[in-house]
Amino acid sequence: MKDHFKESFQEEARENLQELESALLMLNESSEDIELVSRAFRALHTIKGSGSMFGFDKVAAFTHHVETAFDEVRNGRLAATPDLIGLTLAAADQIESMLDEAAGKGEADVAVSAKILEELKKLTGELDTGPAHKSSPSGGNTAEFASGPVTDWIIRFQPRPEFMRTGSDPLLLIRDLGELGNLRTKADTSLIPGFDDLDPEQCYVSWEIELTTAAPQLDIRNVFIFVEDDCELIIEPSPASLESDDVAEAATRPGRGANSGRRGGEAGTQPGNIRVPAAKLDVLVGVVGQLVTLQARLGEIAARSEDRDLQTVAEEVEALIGELRENSMSMRTMPLRSTFERFTRLVFDLGRSLNKNVTLTFDGGETELDKSVIDQLNDPLMHLVRNSMDHGIEPAADRLAAGKPASANIQLSARHAGAQVLISVTDDGKGIDREAVRAKAVANGLISADARLSDSEVFALIMEPGFSTAREITDVSGRGVGMDVVKRNVEALRGSIEITSNPGLGSTVTLRLPLTLAIIDGLLVRVGDARFVMPLANTVECVELTQQDIDSANGNHLANIRGEIIAYVRLSEYLQTRTTRPDREHLMVTETEHGRFGIVVDQVLGDHQTVIKNLGRLYRNVHVISGATILGDGTVALILDLHRLVQSVIRNSSAEKREPGLVPHPSAVA
Amino acid sequence: MTTLDVQDGKALLRLPGDINVAGSAELKQLLVQAFSTGKEVQLDLSTAATLDIAAIQLFWAAARHAEKTGTAFTVAGVVPEAILNGVREAGFEHFPVAIETEVVAQQTHDTDTITDRVE
Repeated sequence: MKDHFKESFQEEARENLQELESALLMLNESSEDIELVSRAFRALHTIKGSGSMFGFDKVAAFTHHVETAFDEVRNGRLAATPDLIGLTLAAADQIESMLDEAAGKGEADVAVSAKILEELKKLTGELDTGPAHKSSPSGGNTAEFASGPVTDWIIRFQPRPEFMRTGSDPLLLIRDLGELGNLRTKADTSLIPGFDDLDPEQCYVSWEIELTTAAPQLDIRNVFIFVEDDCELIIEPSPASLESDDVAEAATRPGRGANSGRRGGEAGTQPGNIRVPAAKLDVLVGVVGQLVTLQARLGEIAARSEDRDLQTVAEEVEALIGELRENSMSMRTMPLRSTFERFTRLVFDLGRSLNKNVTLTFDGGETELDKSVIDQLNDPLMHLVRNSMDHGIEPAADRLAAGKPASANIQLSARHAGAQVLISVTDDGKGIDREAVRAKAVANGLISADARLSDSEVFALIMEPGFSTAREITDVSGRGVGMDVVKRNVEALRGSIEITSNPGLGSTVTLRLPLTLAIIDGLLVRVGDARFVMPLANTVECVELTQQDIDSANGNHLANIRGEIIAYVRLSEYLQTRTTRPDREHLMVTETEHGRFGIVVDQVLGDHQTVIKNLGRLYRNVHVISGATILGDGTVALILDLHRLVQSVIRNSSAEKREPGLVPHPSAVA
Repeated sequence: MTTLDVQDGKALLRLPGDINVAGSAELKQLLVQAFSTGKEVQLDLSTAATLDIAAIQLFWAAARHAEKTGTAFTVAGVVPEAILNGVREAGFEHFPVAIETEVVAQQTHDTDTITDRVE
């Protein structure tokens, strides 16, 4: 069998494991929910089924036993106790390491498998019911029904309205189908009208039935032989169980197997979606980036030439490339929800080992972010959630003593703010002990004993290398390697971190990240002979700064824009570049977290599709510049991080001091 | 025979034997009457033997109607295992009408339930 079949299986199995895990964790909250049990069962069933088909016999055999246990739960013979859920989660982990082993990464511990199965047997053992455990893993529960390969079928059965008037009973047909094998029946009630309009003798219900059987298709069709004219009937193999070449196609097809049509709304599993390796998208975005740079040159040349036709073409190309860029970028964005949901398991596990009762809630999971950013967010977020669990959340007894509910809450939230996304981890724990942080920082020589620091400056110390205030080192966190790593990771993404805390009420860590790492819409401006790009998402408007404005402000850097007073800074003064002030200056009104603020430049050159280039390590401490871009004429323009620029201006004006030489001259970068 | 018994606080529908399409028009009539009393409506399925799709979908629609009009609509008393199994086999996740008593027992008494038939 070709390797890519196995890859597809690996991918699908891991997805199903995630599905299993999320179903299990929700089941832990509401153990009566039969739909969750079914979700867990379906995930296990699919892993087992396609596992044996693709030659992952170990995986299939192991999964079979877990599936059997869940079949018992489904049939109401076994309760979904926390023990069973914990054990099944462990089993899911074990399946994952088996998958890793099969992929040539590491080795699955056979002893662990044996132990899990033994404990499972303890939980299910007393039942010892007939139909659940028998036959080989690939045979499932149906091996005795007939010879031949076991196949999953999907049967869509919609009786005509008058179906029952002739004395036919759909329920009897379903029972007949049950004789052939293992059934999973789902009634579609969406066509049942309101009570007043309902004709009690018409049939409004239709069915989707999954049948696992060794019986041939003809046998299935024969069940319906007497009613075939009175119903719509589709019998087809479940996509996950097609043979040979079709298998790979089915496995890579989006809506697949036992899950098809059951859970919509998840990216990548809806019909009509196609799966594309992320690397291909990266290549696409890379090419688009080059195209954008090239287009800038074309625009430059066209503007210089007198050729009208060339100018028209250049403009049209620019519009098209803009569209292409937007489309290709949006292909790479993904909602954060699945990233968030992954932490449910972490919180569940940590809650058990730390003996803390914590619920994890989400807000803004639909917020989309570039996939390459999301991929690198996992580790920082994990550190933050762990920190909250370990340091933030108090033991239940302390919480009760403080008048808080024993059960704690951690919230993961995300929202857009201009060209950036804010991701926060908020806990309702004890907050950060400002004095402890300060004392520790003094002891570590990070600050002097008489340093006067604001709250946010104190909290920022936590992110210095080698800092940890935990009195005892636990295995969860507290080795002091967490926060500085988080800070480094986030800064590598051109993001920043802010920490706020209320003693006794909890703390919030907010990651501020750029929407994308590749291309943004910007405004190109000029100061002296240097050019800068301002992200369009943060720019509100552009007005002329007249001499009258300057005169009427009594030497303050304030402008009156339609009655609104806006503080501003001259970029040339902030950057300390020596330029003669031009006769006409332009005030760019920007909107950041710090409100509206004006940035004065010499000239606005126009909008610019900006391919972001990193500045390299040498300039990593230059916070007000987020990158550079290459212009059409081959020169370099720096991209301003308006949020940090405004923040720095506000801080400087309150401290009345300036850190000189923070920004390199553009020519130094090229 | 299906009977409707209107008491002080509630309207009780007793449904013995096979509940199927043959009696579903009549059953709907009785449900309409029961709802029109404005009282709490209860189903007694303790002596029911089977339920077909016509009955299930009728209960399904009635339950939604009750929910919409704010009428209490429940199954009172014991529900035979066979009835619950049938609903499950038909692919419904749960019984269309809320079951008040958790007790599920395999019981079939042929005790006659004689009540004044309200027509």
